[in-house]
Amino acid sequence: MNENVRSSSYRVGLIRTALYALMLGLTVVTAFPLAWMVLSSLKTPAETLRSPPVWFPASPSLAAYVKVNRVIDTPRSFLNSAVIGGVTTAGILVTSLLAGYVFAKHRFTGRNALFSVLIATMFLPPIVTLIPLYRIIESLRLDGNLAGVILPNLANAFGIFLMRQFIAAVPDELVDAARVDGASELHIVFRIVAPLVTPALAVLGLFAFVYHWNSYLWPLTVLEGNYDQYPIVLSLSRLLSYNRSAINTNLVMAGATLAVFPPLMLFILLQRSFVKTVVETGVIG
Amino acid sequence: MRGSPRTWTILLLSPSVGLLAVFVFIPMALSIWLSFQQWSTQTPFTAAHWIGLGNYSEIFGYGPVGRDFRQALANTLIYSAESIVVILPLSVALAVLLHQAALRKNHILRTVLFSTYMVPMVAVALVWSKLYSPAEGPINQALGWIGIAPLSWLSSPDTALSSLVMLNVWQQTGYFTVLAVAGLTQIPTTIIEAARIDGARGLKFFWRVTLPLLRRTLLFSGIIALINAVQVFEPVAMITQGGPVGSTNVVTYHIRRVGIERSEGGLGSAMAMIVMLILGALVSAIFAAAGRRSEA
Amino acid sequence: MFFSQQSVVLLYLTAAMIWRLRTHMARWTAMVVVCAFCQGWTLSARAQNPTVTISFLTHWPPETVAKLSAAAKAYMKDHPGTSIQIRAVPFADLLTTLRSQAGGSNAPTLASIYSLWLPELVRDAIVTEAPEADAAEIRKDWSESAVTAATVDGKIYGYPNEIDLYALNYNKELFAAAGIAGPPKTWDELLADAERLTKREGGHVTQQGFGSINSWAAGVVHPFASLLASNGGALVVDGKPALDSKAATETFGFIQKLIDAKVTDPSMGTADANTTGPYLDNFIAGKTAMIIMANWWESALRAGMGQHFANVATAPIPVGPSGNGSHAISYSWLTVVNAAASETQRRAAWDFLRWLDSPESGQNGASAMGDLLVSMGILPSRQSDVAAFSQRLASNFLAGYVSQLKAAQPFPVVLGGQEFTDALQHHLEAMQFGQERAPQAQAQAQRDAASILGNAAR
Repeated sequence: MNENVRSSSYRVGLIRTALYALMLGLTVVTAFPLAWMVLSSLKTPAETLRSPPVWFPASPSLAAYVKVNRVIDTPRSFLNSAVIGGVTTAGILVTSLLAGYVFAKHRFTGRNALFSVLIATMFLPPIVTLIPLYRIIESLRLDGNLAGVILPNLANAFGIFLMRQFIAAVPDELVDAARVDGASELHIVFRIVAPLVTPALAVLGLFAFVYHWNSYLWPLTVLEGNYDQYPIVLSLSRLLSYNRSAINTNLVMAGATLAVFPPLMLFILLQRSFVKTVVETGVIG
Repeated sequence: MRGSPRTWTILLLSPSVGLLAVFVFIPMALSIWLSFQQWSTQTPFTAAHWIGLGNYSEIFGYGPVGRDFRQALANTLIYSAESIVVILPLSVALAVLLHQAALRKNHILRTVLFSTYMVPMVAVALVWSKLYSPAEGPINQALGWIGIAPLSWLSSPDTALSSLVMLNVWQQTGYFTVLAVAGLTQIPTTIIEAARIDGARGLKFFWRVTLPLLRRTLLFSGIIALINAVQVFEPVAMITQGGPVGSTNVVTYHIRRVGIERSEGGLGSAMAMIVMLILGALVSAIFAAAGRRSEA
Repeated sequence: MFFSQQSVVLLYLTAAMIWRLRTHMARWTAMVVVCAFCQGWTLSARAQNPTVTISFLTHWPPETVAKLSAAAKAYMKDHPGTSIQIRAVPFADLLTTLRSQAGGSNAPTLASIYSLWLPELVRDAIVTEAPEADAAEIRKDWSESAVTAATVDGKIYGYPNEIDLYALNYNKELFAAAGIAGPPKTWDELLADAERLTKREGGHVTQQGFGSINSWAAGVVHPFASLLASNGGALVVDGKPALDSKAATETFGFIQKLIDAKVTDPSMGTADANTTGPYLDNFIAGKTAMIIMANWWESALRAGMGQHFANVATAPIPVGPSGNGSHAISYSWLTVVNAAASETQRRAAWDFLRWLDSPESGQNGASAMGDLLVSMGILPSRQSDVAAFSQRLASNFLAGYVSQLKAAQPFPVVLGGQEFTDALQHHLEAMQFGQERAPQAQAQAQRDAASILGNAAR
């Protein structure tokens, strides 16, 4: 008996150790490209070109970071990224909340049809509308400008879908009681419904922010080479010039490290509550 | 209540419906219309002239236009299929691992896995192009340590597309893992206990209990992964430019080249239509298959 | 202007809604975002004081863009009525950027373009003809091939800037190690030398005799076209593809011989979107003995190789069996003016260009344009610039190129030229990777070319 217990706890311990080892291995493999990026940014140009590769720079140098700031306007690029990510996210949150509320709590003819039509746009690859959309932005005289990057993205089907799912779970009685009390619809949405779906809003907000912070093709098309309006992701591609890239590897890696930093920090700050929210509520799922 | 319910419905819907109408539905309608026109992207829409199915017949014809587009389409489908086939099982396996009681409190792997999703694709592409470098890259070097001959990665038409898939897998698996963990968490404990009492253990438990209950999550994940994969653009634009021998030319890159660089707006729109129809058909098929399975 | 006001109202409303969020953090985030946005707005609105604003689109690297900005600033000081904005995109995005916005209100007034794109830009009325005085000056002061490349139907469309051509680059150290005295002069010598310069280890090529590029259209097609020209052939004759000529058959056949002899390894020849990657790396690392490449690579080679750069020598393109001499392919770039710009903008643009390309704008008789080109290791095309930089252009590496300029043949500038290049690239790469044999690749390339050039001329 005693023997049995000991061997079983021994087995549990073994399995636990194996699981930890597996997890550690996976963590290292996953983190490796990011580590390589940071390491390369600290190398000299000659070290980045050596074969077999140099893993650790002989004398790590921040020179590349200094040079990146000379070559591209990093603070301005971050500001542009923050504006694109921030304003777009704010817009998506507001439009999705309003529309999600209507689809969940209002009854009107054609509701399901309209909802389906809007949701169908989730499956539309952006390339389908790229050219005409660009011409529309141009005719509004918003090309070459951050406003042109932002405006078409202020509403999206995924957000509406997500908010409808969550607001549908808010009891009707709550909404009806507020109406009886004479609350306006705006008051209901922002003061009663919104606080109840805060986790979903947070998740939607993070996804929207990261997606738009990282977006490339649309800003590239709209900004037309106006590089003082470039977000960091586009500025990064400016470091890749056709006769300098070979010697600029450390520069490009420094730029990439800088570009990765803000969304990663945001995520690490929020990750506890974020992953918890996704896991517990099954947002998305 | 202030204002009629009807007014409120319209008022609250108008921001999103208005925006989607102007910036999604109108461009889409224009794309459909343009796909039947001969139109240079430089000229106003009024300069377009109707050529019926001319663009479509060129796409399905024997010329270089049709050949290149069909190759791009095939590449995109292979890229999407490989991505889904690798990402979904991997994310479920990782989710099961993360969901083990022993590891549930430990967040490092989860954080690291998911954090790759936050990295801009442009940066991912740049970093991986260096990792893949045949001579200066650490991957081939590491393979050499365990006695594997250097692989050509992006330098061969046989491996280039799959190399881009790996990059996609690295970036996206964490996201889908978190979704799968969410799915696992939602499995009611009563079901789990009932299955345990019935003697289901290990792999059998996984196939009989876990996987069927994850079906909704997997369906959703599969569709998201498909939509993401069809849009692949940055790694091709930043690294391969569609090569070697067109093996990584994908539809987004190709349509941009035809529709903007060569300014054949009509032809590019027709290609976009075909992509849209195929994606629509695939998504409907997946939903239909899922629906039939759940009825059975 | 009308729209920006509306957008500000919209922003205000957004902010007001966010203000109702409960937490301080949310409020502050909203505040920061809105302030940032407004700041961006005022900054972009501020640059509108001068009477005329023109913009200049280029693909140059940031360091060169800084030089161009400095030149523009110097010009603006003397011409307070003109404001010049510089815009830059990576090379791979240059044509799409130009194409997608041409004709739009915000299109660049000036753009530096590859001459191959010119016929289509002329056809689509995107670029404007040079004024009489400028055309005369260009004809007088630029080399003939540069003028030809800036001309469509007898009309000049811009100021030529850089000129590039191809030559054989070889690694002297590897040649010495293999006991080869000098560079190959003929195709037979090239093949024989390449065989002696190739090293294998267990079926793997560890050093390739000759490097051929893949995944980069011009990098694949220009060396091929240089070999073809040095065999008495041409890609296009009288606007029609000429890949079915005997000279072309021999060139395809020669490429096939290099491939069959396994003296060129395609996996060592891949270039990425920025023309770096294994192709460059292997030459820099001394694992490729010979390549056919253009002069503008100097800066990449120099920086990548350090002191080993001294091992690199330049020689004329080896001559084929039917060739009458070595003919490199040259191509050029030019600065054009957007036809959609207003009359005042166009006038200001040509005025700025004339100054930028004139001996007055630089030092010691060079133009500001020549200055920034030479800083990248690129050959300037204005005669006075060539003279001003004679010492720099006499360097070991560049002299081998400069001496070939006379015999060089310009890459054919025809409608559909880029698409034709893409198609030829496809078949040459298919040969490299063993998907097609020479006769098949030749026949299909000719058929594709006929279809593409035929469609483009329609």
